[in-house]
Amino acid sequence: MNSPANRQRRRFARRSKAMRRVSGGLALLFALITAGFLYSALAPQAGTAVAAEDDPVAIAAGQQLYNNSCITCHGANLQGVQGRGPSLIGVGQAATYFQVSTGRMPAADNGAQMPRKEPFFNEEETNQLSAFVQTFGGGPQVPSGSLRNDAEIARGAELYRLNCASCHNFTGKGGALSQGKYAPALDEATDSQIYAAMLSGPENMPKFGDGQLTPDDKKAIISYVQNAKATVDPGGYGLGGFGPVSEGLFAFLVGMGLIVGVTLWMGARA
Amino acid sequence: MSGGENVVVPSDEELAKMSTEDLARLGARLDGVELVEYGERYVPGSPADKAAERSVSKWFLLTAISAVAFIGFFIWWPHEYETVESGRQWIFALYNPLIGLFMGLTLYCFGVGVIAAAKRLTPHEVAVQQRHIGMSAEVDRRTLGAELADTGAKAGIKRRGLLKSSMGVAGLGLGVVAIVPVLGGFIKNPWAKGDESDLWVTAWRPTGDKKVRLVSIDGTPLRPQDLSAGSMETVFPGVPGGAKASDSAVMLIRLRPNDQVTPRRGQAGFEFGDYYAYSKICTHVGCPVSLYEQQTGRILCPCHQSQFNVYDGAFPVFGPATRPLPQLPIALDDEGYFIAVSDFIEPVGPGFWESGQGRTT
Repeated sequence: MNSPANRQRRRFARRSKAMRRVSGGLALLFALITAGFLYSALAPQAGTAVAAEDDPVAIAAGQQLYNNSCITCHGANLQGVQGRGPSLIGVGQAATYFQVSTGRMPAADNGAQMPRKEPFFNEEETNQLSAFVQTFGGGPQVPSGSLRNDAEIARGAELYRLNCASCHNFTGKGGALSQGKYAPALDEATDSQIYAAMLSGPENMPKFGDGQLTPDDKKAIISYVQNAKATVDPGGYGLGGFGPVSEGLFAFLVGMGLIVGVTLWMGARA
Repeated sequence: MSGGENVVVPSDEELAKMSTEDLARLGARLDGVELVEYGERYVPGSPADKAAERSVSKWFLLTAISAVAFIGFFIWWPHEYETVESGRQWIFALYNPLIGLFMGLTLYCFGVGVIAAAKRLTPHEVAVQQRHIGMSAEVDRRTLGAELADTGAKAGIKRRGLLKSSMGVAGLGLGVVAIVPVLGGFIKNPWAKGDESDLWVTAWRPTGDKKVRLVSIDGTPLRPQDLSAGSMETVFPGVPGGAKASDSAVMLIRLRPNDQVTPRRGQAGFEFGDYYAYSKICTHVGCPVSLYEQQTGRILCPCHQSQFNVYDGAFPVFGPATRPLPQLPIALDDEGYFIAVSDFIEPVGPGFWESGQGRTT
């Protein structure tokens, strides 16, 4: 039975057994790799925005900026300093973004209210600071993407008149509050700054959380505000946007003045 | 002394033969006006005459053209609202100025045309009229005064007492008739419903056992988790027509957790946690007090700058208001929504004579 043919067959059988093992292993490897690729291709991306906020480099950079410009009044652990500045724990990205991007922070001095001014930090630094503050107790965040809801602009106007117009005036021109404080004009406010202000309630402005005004409501309000600002004034000049008072005074003084002037001129010529 | 006394009045036959110009001169002379120069301004048909006509007609033609333009713009210019994004809003914005401009031009050109016609086409004349200086002559004044006095004396007004008093009563009646329709609408009896008077009751009053929910402007009932700390929402009674009830608007304020609050005497427990509900109607003259400052806890009224301190029972701290904002007692119902436990315990809005006395029962 030990014929070469038989030996050959045995060797072949042994080889085929080894080959089967190897090919099985290869197939398993291939399947695993494919599954891995498929998983990474099909699995939902874990929000890039969150990844950026958790970006340790940005947070470290934000901490550096904080230590240079904010620590004097807000404290080493954002706990605030008595008589200088409030705690920033839990105020979140929205408040930081609003205060820094409008130039209100860092403050020049402690007055009745922080005025809007040229921002000290650029967009990237503002985001780094926001990411750093966000790590202390979280807090509200301005969503990414479009902050407009042009389809519901009329409802936005209604919500604006109910919730915002009492202080900011119905065309967003602002107005006075008590003891030197004021509701600022919305002329320069961007979409994300308005959104951040509603979320965080800067200074004496009440907060408008998502339970009170849904993100859609907020976007509708922003659409209205930006639309009201961009609206063409039929006479070429808005006269402060105060409506019938200033317009009526102008019409009376200028109109009456013209009529009186023309009458006098006609009398002088007759 | 009006002149013309020494003018000979022509007979009817003579009048019938007179030309229009002669009649016009006669009329002036009868009024004491002497026409020294009178006639056409220009020789009829001369170039100057035609130029004058053209310069006047120009204005009337402009009037007609602007009137047509006004009608054209009124009908065909796009008057439908255009959004900012469309890029055509300036076209829509020009609608009012354009029709105003052309209506104004129409009236202006017509006015200038009338003045130009008076100056350039009416006859050239130099007229002299004798005028007296000072008051009328003694005889005129005395005779006119005597005429009036004598009529009165002959009618016996002085001695007729009944006539005088009846005329006085008539005058009074006429005055009342003129005032009543205007004044009548203002006079109402606020106590016609007694203790149910609208001055005492608002839409927050529970009907039977059913307490009224606090709802937002769109009718959504509110739960404690809806508002962030340091926020304010205007809420209305959750009954039909509640959002339109002018005395029932309420500010639902959520204070920050560490805010120290001194409630009004006898009103502790009207709040729910950090939630406080105050009437939105100013106690001065009833403006909406909605300028809530969430850090200082002040509510500012935009009309006369009254300020109310939320941390101190909404008592006024500045301005003309004298009474605190009424507080609405709130709680949660079985489903976890805010309800008003009862109506306000005092009248809302501006004070009135009986407002401090409370209900009789």
